[in-house]
Amino acid sequence: MNIHVVALVVSVAIFLFVIDLVRRRRLTFKYAVGWLFVSGGAIFFAVFYRLLFACAALLGFELPSNFIFFTLFCVFVFLSLLLTVFLCQQNSRNDVMAQKIALLEFELNELKKKFK
Amino acid sequence: MLGQGIERTEVTPAEKRILAIVPAFNECGNIGRTVQEIRQTGLGVDILVIDDGSMDATAEEARQAGGMVISLPFNLGIGAAVQTGFQYAQKHQYEIAVQIDGDGQHDPAFLDKIVEPLRRGEADMVIASRFLAKTGGFQSSFSRRVGINFFVHLINVLTAVKINDPTSGYRAYNKRMIGLFAEYYPHDFPEPEAIVVAQQAGARIIEMPVAMRRREAGSSSIRYFKTLYYMVKVTLAICLHMIRQRRPKA
Repeated sequence: MNIHVVALVVSVAIFLFVIDLVRRRRLTFKYAVGWLFVSGGAIFFAVFYRLLFACAALLGFELPSNFIFFTLFCVFVFLSLLLTVFLCQQNSRNDVMAQKIALLEFELNELKKKFK
Repeated sequence: MLGQGIERTEVTPAEKRILAIVPAFNECGNIGRTVQEIRQTGLGVDILVIDDGSMDATAEEARQAGGMVISLPFNLGIGAAVQTGFQYAQKHQYEIAVQIDGDGQHDPAFLDKIVEPLRRGEADMVIASRFLAKTGGFQSSFSRRVGINFFVHLINVLTAVKINDPTSGYRAYNKRMIGLFAEYYPHDFPEPEAIVVAQQAGARIIEMPVAMRRREAGSSSIRYFKTLYYMVKVTLAICLHMIRQRRPKA
């Protein structure tokens, strides 16, 4: 089978998988967007692979495959950094929530004692 | 108001209400004594133990000793635990908050001494220092003293403030600082970083010499071999804090 067809099939599969995850409410749009762009780009270059070769040559890559690996590497670094930011945000929200719950629980117990 | 089930001191208007914030994580065997010792000072402070998700009977022991106990649902770390105390203090309008460790290292006998500059309005934050004068007591291990000395110079270079015991967790704060730290308190390595936060907010920070004790049970969370790693991490945390966007002044 032609390598271009394989690339196209894989990128379309990822794209559809992400859409399915959103449809099944396993992924919200906010987090799906990055993946949709990445897989959309992959589909684009699988179809217009000559454009990919031209880009690779323009940027000075000897082999188009090196360009692909480099681009993928950059995309994943960026995505994981983004995920770390989300993780961090969730972590701080979690802490704030835990503190508030603890304070409220304490005050609730005090109130219960008062009205006993 | 709240806290009917717990012995509270009658507060005269002229007297400044003091809250002792005692963060504790698995301090069963120490915490009861610490709470009792604070009560025995006769200063009429309210004692709030923040049980930081302990797996043992820390909360129960503290309650039996006569302290109020706020239990965090899981372990959040010392910074978030202390901050919970500040949030309580702010909500209940305490004039002064004292942070004192639940592990028995900090002697409540010095409580009056470190609160005094706040009562007189001479400072916003008082740090109990074991190195300020020859007070005797436990002076920490050699490796930790090297680390502490490093932070003395780091904080001095970054903020132009000389604090002799920047890792001391025995501190007193006035209402302004309570408000500031209820809003933002460093979670990861709170002691040295909080000095930088306070200094940036324009706080007047002073130190009072005290003698500290050895921990009575359990082991210090900063172990001997971890000192260097701790130093690197705290330095990074402080440097990152310096370039962080400033928060509005309290």
